[in-house]
Amino acid sequence: MQAKEYIGESWKHGILIVGAILVLLPFYMMVSMSLKSQQEIQSISGGLIGAQEVQTFPVCVKTGYSEETCTTKPYIYNYWFAFEKAPIPRYLMNGVIVTLSIFIIQVLVALPCAYALAKLRFYGREFVFSMVLFCLLIPVHGIALPLYVMLAQAGLVDTYSALILPWTISVFGIFLMRQFFMTVPDELIDAARMDGMGEYSIVWKVMLPTAIPALLAFAIFSVVAHWNDYFWPRMVITGNRDLFTPPLGIREFRGGIDSDEFGPMMASIVTVTVPLIVAFIIAQKRFIEGITLTGMK
Amino acid sequence: MHNSKAHIWFIAPAIILMIVILIFPLFLAGGISFTDYNLGNKSIGWVGLENYDKMFNRKTYVKMIWATATYVIVVVPISVVLGLCAAMLLNSLRFGADIYKTIFFLPVMATLLAMAIAWEFTLHPTLGIVNSFLANGCGGIREFILGLHWLPWVDSQQSWYHVACANNMDFPYWLKQKNTAIWTICFIGIWQAFGFNMVLYLAGLTGIPRELYQAAEMDGAKSTWEQFKLVTWPMLGPTTLFVVTITTIRTFQVFDTIEILTKGGPSKTTYVMMYAIFEKAIQQNLTSIGAAITVVFIAFILILTFFQRYVIERRVHY
Repeated sequence: MQAKEYIGESWKHGILIVGAILVLLPFYMMVSMSLKSQQEIQSISGGLIGAQEVQTFPVCVKTGYSEETCTTKPYIYNYWFAFEKAPIPRYLMNGVIVTLSIFIIQVLVALPCAYALAKLRFYGREFVFSMVLFCLLIPVHGIALPLYVMLAQAGLVDTYSALILPWTISVFGIFLMRQFFMTVPDELIDAARMDGMGEYSIVWKVMLPTAIPALLAFAIFSVVAHWNDYFWPRMVITGNRDLFTPPLGIREFRGGIDSDEFGPMMASIVTVTVPLIVAFIIAQKRFIEGITLTGMK
Repeated sequence: MHNSKAHIWFIAPAIILMIVILIFPLFLAGGISFTDYNLGNKSIGWVGLENYDKMFNRKTYVKMIWATATYVIVVVPISVVLGLCAAMLLNSLRFGADIYKTIFFLPVMATLLAMAIAWEFTLHPTLGIVNSFLANGCGGIREFILGLHWLPWVDSQQSWYHVACANNMDFPYWLKQKNTAIWTICFIGIWQAFGFNMVLYLAGLTGIPRELYQAAEMDGAKSTWEQFKLVTWPMLGPTTLFVVTITTIRTFQVFDTIEILTKGGPSKTTYVMMYAIFEKAIQQNLTSIGAAITVVFIAFILILTFFQRYVIERRVHY
């Protein structure tokens, strides 16, 4: 490598580092605020983690906890108080329930349909496929209002069903799986039929295992999209805290931005955001594949 | 010889759900938009085009269209170009590309709502590190660079930075000011979207055969720019089409940052369509006007996708 190339390389790194700092700025702010005391946050001092001096927290005492419980280091206090104030585990569990239900139902609906479209011959197949292609164009968030009206008429607002039902059909899942099944050789299916397998067993015992890579990509796409979705839960969950998904929880924590303590608030937000980010960092290759492969919507 | 009835059971659930969840609502929205229906009303009256008439003539809705258009027109091109630049830079690195890739992709993964709040604090006039960083830089190198004093036509005594420093650190209240709110929201949108585009472009770049660059070099395209014009850009045509389509559809649906940060304000400068639908139909229970906005919104998206798929596609494929 020549000197000139070194210079070129350093320039590139210089630009990218500035970009990386800009990208990481809010993450830094979030983590830093969740660790520091209110005074440090307000005076913008203490760097990333603050001085971590043991102190008594007035808001905590006012809430009714003993002075002893309220005297601790800021980072412990922030995270402890966050869990005291809001049922964070409940929100996380709701997130898991909703995202998993959505994904499982999507697969139950999409997989057989994709198999039929790819491997079975029947009257009207082209029509069904063009219907899938048309539905690909419809953004579900865009038709949220009529969906909301329908759910309200059915009396389903403020239920788990409202959170899950509109997402049970993933035309994108059908499309993706169909494209994948097209590449599966017919001989495999014929052999299964020779062995006396019915079409149902073929779908679940032959096609499903071959589709694992595509399914995994789709799973990541689906789970990330619905874990992070805020718009739809905001529409259909009006006040029942028991049904709050993580983003609704985040909104609740923010509540009084001017009156509240910022430390515990940010601690809640970090807690709710972290699971997905950790999963991403552990399995980033799969995540990037999943989200880009299936990035249609 | 397989059971010839099996396909019915395989496709029926999907077809029923497609009709009920995706297609019927389109007609329902269309239908409601011609009435005065509000959720909970017993009676429905036909009002014809009144809702649409309101939409295109009332100030609020005109501002809504403006805000949405501004957001899309700013965020789509910038996030696409940034994604492309980042991808090309990473592709040419000798080491470290993976780290940058992870970092740039983080915003795509992170819950946008949480990140919006994090940005709110980062940009907060008194608590945020951005404004304190600016205030500490008065009179120094930061003022020189960010105040654009290095541009020959900028008077260093008149630059926005110098004026703010002179007026007792009067830096913008990014999200609260009429003239900055929409741009700040755009910035967060770009921040969130460009990593996704970058990854798609990285995938596109790996698909370009090396021989093409050698051939271009033999034809006299020596500089990086010439090679980019001759090989990279045309070969990335299909990727670009895909990236632009997806980014457009996504940016049209911006909601989270608006709802949590600006609520459409100040004075409706960030009043985008998804937020308008939510505010009118859910919060104010004006279902029919919400339905009219929905129809226009869907029409915008369908027209754009058709345009991108069938008109431009013919020109991109090599």
